[in-house]
Amino acid sequence: MELANIFKYLYQSLANSGLPQVWVDIIALVAAGLIVFGVLAVIALFLVWWERKVSAHIQQRFGPMRTGWHGVLQTIADAIKLIQKEDITPTNVDRPVFYWAPIIAFVAAFLAYIAIPFGKGLIVSDLNIGILFIIAITTFTIISLLMAGWGSNNKYALLGGMRSAAQVVSYEVPMVVSILPIILFAGTLSMVEIVEAQAKIYQWFIFRVPFGPIAFIIYIIAGTAETNRTPFDLPEAEQELVAGFNVEYSGMKFAMFFLAEFVNMFTVCAIATTLFLGGWQGPFLPSWVWFLGKTLVLVFLLMWFRWTYPRLRVDQLMEFSWKFLVPLSFANLIIAGFMKHSKWFNW
Amino acid sequence: MTASKALRTEEFLVNMGPHHPSTHGVCRFLLTMDGEVVIKAVPYIGYLHRALEKICENRTYPQCLPVLDRFEYCTSMSCEYAFCLAVEKLAGIQAPERAEYLRIIMVELNRIASHLIWFGTTALDLGAITPFLYGFREREDILDLFEMTCGQRLTYNYIRIGGVSRDIPSQFIPKAKEFIDKFPSKIDDYVKLLNENPIWVVRNRNVGILPPELALSYGVSGPVLRGSGVKFDLRKDDPYSIYDRFEFDIPTGKYGDCYDRYLVRMAEMLQSTRIVKQALEQLPEGDIKAKVSPQFKPPKGEVYSRIENSRGEMGIYIQSPGDSKKPLRVKMRGGSYNHLQVMPEIVKGGKIADLVAVMASMDIIMPEVDR
Amino acid sequence: MKKLINGIKNLVIGLLTTGKHLGRHAITIQYPTQKWEMPERSRGIVVLLSDKETGELNCTTCLLCEKACPSSAIKIVYEKDEKGKRHLKDFIVDHGLCCFCGLCEEACNFSAIKLATKYEFSTYTKDDLLWHTNKLQEVGRDVPYEKVERKKPEAKPAAPQPTTATPSKPIAEKQSAKTGEAISPAEPEKNPELGEGAKPQEDK
Repeated sequence: MELANIFKYLYQSLANSGLPQVWVDIIALVAAGLIVFGVLAVIALFLVWWERKVSAHIQQRFGPMRTGWHGVLQTIADAIKLIQKEDITPTNVDRPVFYWAPIIAFVAAFLAYIAIPFGKGLIVSDLNIGILFIIAITTFTIISLLMAGWGSNNKYALLGGMRSAAQVVSYEVPMVVSILPIILFAGTLSMVEIVEAQAKIYQWFIFRVPFGPIAFIIYIIAGTAETNRTPFDLPEAEQELVAGFNVEYSGMKFAMFFLAEFVNMFTVCAIATTLFLGGWQGPFLPSWVWFLGKTLVLVFLLMWFRWTYPRLRVDQLMEFSWKFLVPLSFANLIIAGFMKHSKWFNW
Repeated sequence: MTASKALRTEEFLVNMGPHHPSTHGVCRFLLTMDGEVVIKAVPYIGYLHRALEKICENRTYPQCLPVLDRFEYCTSMSCEYAFCLAVEKLAGIQAPERAEYLRIIMVELNRIASHLIWFGTTALDLGAITPFLYGFREREDILDLFEMTCGQRLTYNYIRIGGVSRDIPSQFIPKAKEFIDKFPSKIDDYVKLLNENPIWVVRNRNVGILPPELALSYGVSGPVLRGSGVKFDLRKDDPYSIYDRFEFDIPTGKYGDCYDRYLVRMAEMLQSTRIVKQALEQLPEGDIKAKVSPQFKPPKGEVYSRIENSRGEMGIYIQSPGDSKKPLRVKMRGGSYNHLQVMPEIVKGGKIADLVAVMASMDIIMPEVDR
Repeated sequence: MKKLINGIKNLVIGLLTTGKHLGRHAITIQYPTQKWEMPERSRGIVVLLSDKETGELNCTTCLLCEKACPSSAIKIVYEKDEKGKRHLKDFIVDHGLCCFCGLCEEACNFSAIKLATKYEFSTYTKDDLLWHTNKLQEVGRDVPYEKVERKKPEAKPAAPQPTTATPSKPIAEKQSAKTGEAISPAEPEKNPELGEGAKPQEDK
């Protein structure tokens, strides 16, 4: 059951209803945006619950159990609570910066999904520079973190914001360089075409030894760092900076940061799925199920990391990126280029 | 000319605490920071001051014990033990042999429980949340044993002047043996999680190095001192009670960094299980308490008794006026106080994250510092 | 390079260790619906015990518990008849002050006061923590206990002076007489100690 067919049918019936083509396109775009937003909001709420459950079971606890089946509605209850809470604005904050930071974080987190294919034909807009667009948009988050850190007028928040800026900039480099071999082999920047280049399971980029797995590992590490999760959760290192950049935020603003963080995590995993794990490709089941399944497996991996590892120190974090990941990813790129050129491996 | 054009940087002050997730209570550090680097750290104490010494001076000797429970609440048994040893020394009371064994079983189990708290909070301070829960899981088993015996999980009031308050229940020995048998495999889990984990190693190795000379000059004791390579343990070097009957080793570190302190404590937990095992095997039958009146008056004099607590030397000094049911002066000495004092020396120049790591490895507990 | 492989190996071992626990059963319980079975010796709220047959309080108003309490949480209001015998008017336990040390239970010779295994008694106001005889007795009705029938001290009716209510004297003397070593007998002199300072001393 392909969802794309349903949407196509709806679009067709809308086009046949006699409205001018401009209006049809506008309505279709708005509807697509709303659908993506709604789906992602649900996914984010689900991920928060899932994270709590994973952590609870790793730690031999129950986790949320009261609201709904095994507490599945817990996040919704929490969100409602956060909306009701008083929105505290401390006295000496830089008001516009303080106000806009969570909104930018929230919007930036969702923008990337314009170019991510959820399934066969399930994409808002198949940009021909898809991957470039996504990388540019995901980096947007750092601006909001920096704004939050600066605007809060709090030393812990400032340290957190600065840390996140340094961290995201450092890990952006290996992340992009690790993606380059994929683009090299797929020969396109479009997300859909990258997925189509991995039609068979042995064509998945993760299985293209040797550059594939290495690129995948680098990407996952850099992605973990980019989403500020343990072992790279320095910007909000609870034990050092209390809560880092969101120390002064409360109520709905905090909820926006929180949801954005989970959406970002999903984004990183969705990109990894698209680039390395063949995106929606898979037998029997509908394509969007494959996409979601693969992504959630990766999300689980990130959660598993978080509940296992301690945190790195800030200088070690930088060292790891610049002295290890960056050289490794460049070496990987060179290997991939050599392979492509020599046509030893012609998948 | 270059100087004027250079970017102007500025040191800034950060109040770390008194309510901060990793200061283990209400310790406050005034940090002078240059970006992430700590230039100067000044500890401010006293937020948890409850005048315990003064309260003790207004209580009869048996009534002091519930107060002592609150002195260092992670190892309440040790506090009671130190106090009872002091009073017994003063009044010349000899506790029955069974009581001595029970005391040692309890104190050593309490040492494991305390080290488990340390293990959990240390991992938590360095960002690993799961070991915290694992440590507390095993601690629960020990607390169950305590609750079964004396009825409380934290403020035991179990060790009394002249013995212990109650005999152990019949299920105690099998349950304690079960715990002792399964505990090493649990330690194995912790070791797998952290010991060789590269992140853990880089966070702890060569961080917060405490040279032995500095440690001795600050009066540092316990696992922190042993982590610096000084083999000093009151249980061996100044054996009190019946510690000379048990076989156990004293683990020591080599470099005096956080990682050595970590290893020393992990090894100490296993040594404690050895002691408990031997004590359970040797446990004699007999009385559990010498008769001591609740209103008794020790003879005039003063006494200082010290024991090896999980956080170093714990000493109780008592001055008795001779004609009163209440002590004239009680002074408590906890290891954490000295550990906190030595911290500014060893965190200088480190990152703020190192400060957290050092603080965790020192295992400071604020009620012991502020009293 | 060896270091790198070793590091990766140990990271994976860490993951497996936590993963091993993922499938295990939770060791916690769902508190309000599931409850922990408290050990028999567990020290919870202070209750007054009543005689199983007559249903009357075991308390003989000897004031030993009040004296033993380190935090002055027990307050006994009584009145004396002509013979100098005390009659209980009100037995007040301030659970807000109580430190649950169990010294009162040990001091009692008549199985009259006990720290029951019950532990749920949180209230909305501090005043509700102040329990009087009725409530202490009601909560203590179903608390199982073994009545320790200790021999009542003979000297009890002949309390020295009506103002110095120190029934601890005979017992203390008896105990110290048995051990007889290094224990000074407890003189029942009028000490301005904390326990007595809080005593109401209601003489009529």
